[in-house]
Amino acid sequence: MTSHAGLMVIFAFFVSVVFGTLMRDEPKEQLRFGARLFGAFVVGGIALGWLLYPLPL
Amino acid sequence: MRATTADREQSAIYTYLICLAAWAIPGAGHLLLGRVQKGVTFLITLTLMFAFGLWLQGRLFPIELSQPLVALAALADLGIGIPFFIARAMGTGAGRVVALTYEYGNACLIDAGLMNMLVVLDAFDIAQGRK
Repeated sequence: MTSHAGLMVIFAFFVSVVFGTLMRDEPKEQLRFGARLFGAFVVGGIALGWLLYPLPL
Repeated sequence: MRATTADREQSAIYTYLICLAAWAIPGAGHLLLGRVQKGVTFLITLTLMFAFGLWLQGRLFPIELSQPLVALAALADLGIGIPFFIARAMGTGAGRVVALTYEYGNACLIDAGLMNMLVVLDAFDIAQGRK
């Protein structure tokens, strides 16, 4: 659970729940928007991780 | 005319009280405005996120004006309201820099505060009748 990917997923979940609730009024829309946001965060995080992988840090 | 001005002043005071409650307890502004589902969601999610940040050994930054970035992080941490002061009183939030989860903890603490500020602005808009 305390792996980088696991923590990123949990962080994405919290942020998606708050923004989904904040930006939409209907519960169904909140769920849809939150799920899309969560997917975008996770996929974006993994994609960014791979893009940064070759960089010598 | 005077009654209208008094009404307006009362309405402004009510709006600011809503904002104060929304800042102090995440989701309280929405609960007071009758948006129960949103209020409960904010209360649970933001409080959990803040507690999760503490559990990950994040740091509650002190207000140090000599270090602008630390001061800004402290301001963001303060955004969560009363949970910040409870955590401080309990002696948590010292932060352990060598912990693997330190930066994630900071991210959770800072983002919980910043998102609560957005929630306060949303409560302000609802109280003003804009939403």
